Amino acid sequence: MNLPDLPAPRPNATRRTVLAALLSASTAALIPWALGEPVADASQGAFLALSAIIAGRQSLDAVQARRLYAALCADDAGFAAGAQALLALINERRIDVAVLQKTLDGDRSPLAAIPRKIATAWFAGTVGEGAKARCLAYETALNAQIVADVLKPPSYAYGAYGSWTKQPI
Amino acid sequence: MSEQLSADFVVIGSGICGALTALQLLEAGSVLILEAGPRMTRDDVVANFRNGADKGNFVAPYPMSRLAPHPLYLPVNNNHFLQAGPEMYEAEYLRVVGGTSWHWAAQAWRVLPNDFRIKTLYDVGVDWPIGYDDLEPFYQQAEELMGVSGAPNTGSPRNKPFPMEPVAEIYAMARIRERIAPLGYDLVTNTTARNSRGYDGRPACCGNNNCMPICPIDAQYHGGLAADAAEAAGARLVPNAVVYRIEHDAAGKIVAVHYYDENKVSQRVTGKTFILAANGVESPRLLLLSASDKYPKGLANSSDCVGRHLMDHPSSGLTFYADEDLWPGRGPMSPSSVNALRDGDFRRHAAAYRIDFSNASQVRTVTNDLIKEGVYGAEFDRQLRLRSARQISMKNVLEVLPNPENRITLSDQKDPLGIPKPLAHYSIDDYTRRGADRCKEDFTKIARAMGGTGLRYSPDGKFGNNQHITGTMRMGHDPATSVVDAWGRAHDHENLYIVSTGVMPTAATVNSTLTAVALGLRTAHHILAQQPRAAAGASTAAQAR
Amino acid sequence: MTPLSFYRRRMGATLLALGLGLTGAAASAQAPVDVAQVQRGQYLATAGDCIACHSTVGGKPMAGGLAVATPLGDIVSTNITPSQTHGIGNYTLQQFADALRKGVRADGRHLYPAMPYTAYAKVSDGDIAALYAYFMHGVQPVDAAPARRTDLPFPFSVRMSMGAWNMLFLDKKPFVADPSKSGEWNRGAYLANGLAHCTTCHTPRNALMAEDLTKNLSGGDLGTWYAPNITPDADSGLGGWSTQELVEYLRSGRVAGKAQAAGPMAEAVDHSLRHLTDADLHAIATYVKSVPAVHDAADTAPVHARGTASNGMAYQRGDALPADPDKLTGPQLFDAHCASCHQAGGQGTFDRALPSLFHNTVLGRSNGNNLVMAMLNGVQREQEQGDPLETRMPAFRKVLSDRQVATLANYLTATYGNPNVKVTADGVRTLRAGGGTSGLVTLARVGMAIALLVVLGWAAWLVRRRKRRSRRF
Repeated sequence: MNLPDLPAPRPNATRRTVLAALLSASTAALIPWALGEPVADASQGAFLALSAIIAGRQSLDAVQARRLYAALCADDAGFAAGAQALLALINERRIDVAVLQKTLDGDRSPLAAIPRKIATAWFAGTVGEGAKARCLAYETALNAQIVADVLKPPSYAYGAYGSWTKQPI
Repeated sequence: MSEQLSADFVVIGSGICGALTALQLLEAGSVLILEAGPRMTRDDVVANFRNGADKGNFVAPYPMSRLAPHPLYLPVNNNHFLQAGPEMYEAEYLRVVGGTSWHWAAQAWRVLPNDFRIKTLYDVGVDWPIGYDDLEPFYQQAEELMGVSGAPNTGSPRNKPFPMEPVAEIYAMARIRERIAPLGYDLVTNTTARNSRGYDGRPACCGNNNCMPICPIDAQYHGGLAADAAEAAGARLVPNAVVYRIEHDAAGKIVAVHYYDENKVSQRVTGKTFILAANGVESPRLLLLSASDKYPKGLANSSDCVGRHLMDHPSSGLTFYADEDLWPGRGPMSPSSVNALRDGDFRRHAAAYRIDFSNASQVRTVTNDLIKEGVYGAEFDRQLRLRSARQISMKNVLEVLPNPENRITLSDQKDPLGIPKPLAHYSIDDYTRRGADRCKEDFTKIARAMGGTGLRYSPDGKFGNNQHITGTMRMGHDPATSVVDAWGRAHDHENLYIVSTGVMPTAATVNSTLTAVALGLRTAHHILAQQPRAAAGASTAAQAR
Repeated sequence: MTPLSFYRRRMGATLLALGLGLTGAAASAQAPVDVAQVQRGQYLATAGDCIACHSTVGGKPMAGGLAVATPLGDIVSTNITPSQTHGIGNYTLQQFADALRKGVRADGRHLYPAMPYTAYAKVSDGDIAALYAYFMHGVQPVDAAPARRTDLPFPFSVRMSMGAWNMLFLDKKPFVADPSKSGEWNRGAYLANGLAHCTTCHTPRNALMAEDLTKNLSGGDLGTWYAPNITPDADSGLGGWSTQELVEYLRSGRVAGKAQAAGPMAEAVDHSLRHLTDADLHAIATYVKSVPAVHDAADTAPVHARGTASNGMAYQRGDALPADPDKLTGPQLFDAHCASCHQAGGQGTFDRALPSLFHNTVLGRSNGNNLVMAMLNGVQREQEQGDPLETRMPAFRKVLSDRQVATLANYLTATYGNPNVKVTADGVRTLRAGGGTSGLVTLARVGMAIALLVVLGWAAWLVRRRKRRSRRF
């Protein structure tokens, strides 16, 4: 089953302001590039901001972001609201990404699953669990990209026969 | 279409054993291969793998017959293969043209000469009705058919060299080999059915690191190639033909088999000689299903041994971080092992084993670990690289002794065709557990030699499975305690032969496929030698009528 | 199957044995064999790649029997071992020279120009003599005829027609060095136009199937494979290649980031070019890079430099695939069949051993035939041990339908190469079947029929005129 395309976001000065207003100074500092991204609504914007924080990246593939967001919403009806709430929480309590999960787990927060879902979507390229799990990315998933200078993802050839005898890097 | 199929030789199952046996039998007459599952292509499975959500699920990319399912445990158990316990025996196998070896690591070892005589030598298990020398020429034949290569002198004597050089050693394995050698551990390149040069029209390995679930370039041999070869040589292969009953006459001679076609219509196939090659679970299942008035316990079962003495190779393991960057994930997935722990007087008390070192990319499992630990942001990048470069995973392949209470029986639950599902009864005894305990010391020493940190042992008493389904139709001299004779012929039915890992009376410590293929070739050789002189000159490519 | 290189090594052993005695035809009353000359002849025969056509795979060297497919039909090579009963063992040096340079056999019959005698016409007397010595004394005689004989459809079965063709198109002048050029250039011109017979494939042919030397080396259609433009044109040819790269290509059949040989060129590299000396390869490269550049207007960019990395599955990963295999899209076909080696972005492996698809002439050219042929037949090269050939790229002939090949080829050229290349399922079917037939047979027969009608018509008019005259009296 293929997900329907979400409407492409329209650049809109008002909405950009909304996203910027969602972020605290510290969070905004982490993702200056995201402030310029046009977003369809506040929760997609929150997802983008959370993605940047959790994936720790200065830029993320915008098309892939839309795909992942659509899949996450389809998998969990509460995801959109949860993402907004989580971003608000991070802003409010200035939670550093290094302690984010621990903090949420310690608080037994209802939002504790959200970072894991976002991390799994970007790093592992999958959304959902068990029978509902879907692959959205494999060779473009961040975990493949992070080691792409050394390894090819399984199923892609490494090189000519014997090329694995040498030290990689 | 109701064509009345018939052939001189009817082979049930198109896996590596059935197909290579069929290939030999074409010299003496027409051959019909009945396969329960569908045809498939390699590239379709490669695409399914890449699009699949659980890359660690090696069964998921394969087509599943609606009418003849194979076991699927994840993400949801399809409950084809039921478990009576006390231990789980969640064996994986594929019911497709070409069988299970589409997804294997291509380890193609010979067993040791002593493995044939552990009762005599160590007073455990049973002796085989044949010796290593009886099988040696057929090992060679199998190795040349499959393109096997390996390190010399790993305990299995040979009369002729391997058809090609061993696969080039991986950097990570070379480093481990150098560092554990001073402790007396000899890390050797595995004996595998993997091309170290162009062979048989197929390329050499290019390090796709995907042997399981599938080699994208056919650099490793598998049953699909065997099935292709059998068909190209003139065997007729009928897919989606689920054999559910073997029919015999008043004297016990097999006269026909019955199968359901894709429309669930029953078809009857006649023949002169029948070869059962439907793996170590589905073959005893079929024999039990074929029970009749004359044979109330099932066919070939006057010994009551059909389905019994089920053995596999349980595994325990250790994963750790080495103190240097090794970067597993380049080259084949199972390239090297320690093999000198397979034999010795200790086998009186504790199981022998091999230690397999994994070269599978660790990126996926490390990713899961990091997310579970809540590691995000830039730290994720750092940890992913560090751990993926240094994480080493070892597992053992433990011997299990034949125990009549470990068995396959028929469940009272039915599959989509209304046929009773197979039911596993399994336990792992102290003999094997003592072997696992001994191995734990080896694991620890090896990890320490690699400057290991973060040692994670598999849970005590919990074992993984290796899908080496042995013992369930074991060979022996005595019809009271075995199912087939030294040639693989059923004691009870003169024209029924079994080629399968299931005929192996003990499991030894190496992957069973090459031994099963060699036994099958020996069975075929015997069948051919029995043929009347006139028929031996008959058409070699006669089609099934 | 024994590799031809194995035979080459065995012939080397034969040469050593020559010191002890004589083999071959006219041995009995001859002067002792000049081993050095025979060895030189072997080298020249390698340069001329005689073995490629005059042997079958698994057959004895130089014993003939290989059917060369031409648009007119199969032309079968002959036994050129020194057998006195079935080969050229009774040939004198002059007869040998005439066969090689004039296309005339000892029995006076003409050879078809599938035997590239128009190129070998350039070979010097000294080299002809060395070749003769090699064929008489360095090749094992095989006393057996090839399994097939050439049998072209009428009127081309009439070999006398080659006499007329030769009058029009055979330049009998031997090679004359150009004093204004370097020794290396002259050596290269001598080899390229002579023994190495590059023009035989790489020069386009006119309607009567003769090489059009005004467009020398600008590309030739071999029916299925296409021998590309190797003039120094910056876009269509080798203008962007250094001499060293060209030498590397001749020696190995591969320049990473530019091109790789397949089909007949791979065979030429394996049997002939890679055995030549470095100096000779340099000479050939120097010459080839000096011929007049010929530009194909269809090439608007260098054919070796087109395309970039692109992952067509990036935003489709995980999407369900259509049930009908012929409805699989380009990216989906690429994912299943190509990406395992060429990588998800088409960029090839780290070591470039498995090539990138962009910056690759096979996808950059305006002619898509070689791409389709590589997909259908794969790429096989000789290997040193065991099986004679190793598979470098598998054949997809049995895996992909005509429609799938067309869909995939168009996706590949649009994404990684020249987007103006359009492949159709019908075109694939033709290539799969071995190429189209030549219109020349029909043309010749129609031409002859018209000529006959004209003659009959004129004869009838003559007869009628005579009758009218006779009636007047």
